[in-house]
Amino acid sequence: MSDDGLVIYEEEVERIDQLLNKMLKGAEAKCALLVDKDGHLITRQGFTHSLDTTALAALLAGSFASTKEIAKLVGEPEFSVLFHQGKKDHIHMSIVGERSILAVIFDDRTTIGMVRLYAKETAQELAKTFEDNAQRRGAPPEMPDDFADMAQEKLDDIFQD
Amino acid sequence: MVSINYSAREVCCKIVYYGPGLSGKTTNLQYIHSKVPQDTRGKLISLATEADRTLYFDFLPINIGTINGFQAKFQLYTVPGQVYYNATRKLVLRGVDGVVFVADSQPDKMDENIESLANLMENLEEYGYRPEDLPIVIQLNKRDLPNVLPVDQLNAQLNPHNLPTFEASATVGNGVFDTLKLIIRLVLEKAKATSAPKTTASAQPTVTAVPRPQPAPYPEPAPAPQPVAAGVAAAAPRPIAPAPAADTAYRPYPGSGTQPVKQQAPAAQAPSPQPPAPAQPVAAEVAPSPVAPPTQPAEIKTDEQPVAAESNAQSPQMAPSLRRRGEPKKRGFFKRLFGIK
Repeated sequence: MSDDGLVIYEEEVERIDQLLNKMLKGAEAKCALLVDKDGHLITRQGFTHSLDTTALAALLAGSFASTKEIAKLVGEPEFSVLFHQGKKDHIHMSIVGERSILAVIFDDRTTIGMVRLYAKETAQELAKTFEDNAQRRGAPPEMPDDFADMAQEKLDDIFQD
Repeated sequence: MVSINYSAREVCCKIVYYGPGLSGKTTNLQYIHSKVPQDTRGKLISLATEADRTLYFDFLPINIGTINGFQAKFQLYTVPGQVYYNATRKLVLRGVDGVVFVADSQPDKMDENIESLANLMENLEEYGYRPEDLPIVIQLNKRDLPNVLPVDQLNAQLNPHNLPTFEASATVGNGVFDTLKLIIRLVLEKAKATSAPKTTASAQPTVTAVPRPQPAPYPEPAPAPQPVAAGVAAAAPRPIAPAPAADTAYRPYPGSGTQPVKQQAPAAQAPSPQPPAPAQPVAAEVAPSPVAPPTQPAEIKTDEQPVAAESNAQSPQMAPSLRRRGEPKKRGFFKRLFGIK
């Protein structure tokens, strides 16, 4: 686990976005986020402009991680679906494959049943897409040699006491 | 390790501030948050108790800008320092790229420092990390306090492997940025060292269409404007084959709206001048108490026929769209509900 960094390619994200859009249309949900279990945002679709998706991704991953520990305490390996109900907006989260979380935000224009139905279907398709990509891809591309040096210059500019 | 998103053109690293309770991990993030330009950092999120002790983690995203066409993003996390929060502490370490160990320089905190450092190594190993391979920087915090241990003594006990060390005072900011800059540099160098040579297969992954078992284009406009069809018939043509039950169960509008018609009908038909002879008294009986006792099953069955036949012809109260039009005979809603034959 310590060395399997998440690498997402453009072509993969295009396919993922297609699936997410199809789900949003079908379930009539507001937006969807695909989040790595480590808290990194992979992609997002729908009305996310007013959302702090970076923080949301970290908190969703944290929420899922803590729920997994709760599941273990009651004898379950993990809870595959999480649902947060609000006054207007609700969040449905489900596991995708081994390491991703699909979060769908929706309101009262649709129902939990519709979201759950489409999210389940989409999660299966996403998991299959990840599997196909994992088999097809080789080693990730090399990072530029001077990435750390160039970052250091930026850091010196930004982090000034 | 480091997350690379070629679609969003960004590199994302996770850095965790670890250490004993009250050693200054959250204060490090608060200082960074207060001093870094607003366009560089996101919101500082603290999942803390009422007493401002970290309960789960603090989170501060930082974006240092574009490097070689990639946005370099760093996610700074803290952990709860108290010993009994080890379960949540371990969760935060998942997928970590670099660790800052914030040690408290006060003499009476040395045992806690040692215990926390041992706990860090233990948790890292449980995740499969080799601590010697992971970038770790030790920050000796609270150097501004009067009776602190000398650096040599702290290093002797906390840093046998000669990890990079900084003296710091997080409340006033001394050493905070130095620590952060070094851990970022170490993380990026580590990412460079572990990345493999480019391959053609990875450069051009082709996307194959995943076959879908059913088309399932859910009809965009709501199916509500189909009032003529009766309840079951309205739900049937929905293209979502796999779970129509879930669909109709949660949808408020299409399903059972027409069912009560059967109950209205007998009441409306009761004073009808020309009912079929055998049905008239039965309809009158059924109307006041729809949940008929099971002692009269045969009689209840018969009331359906005349009601269905007459509701089309003479029922001024009912909207035309709700009338039954030549449907096969169905058992009443309450009969089905209570299993009456």
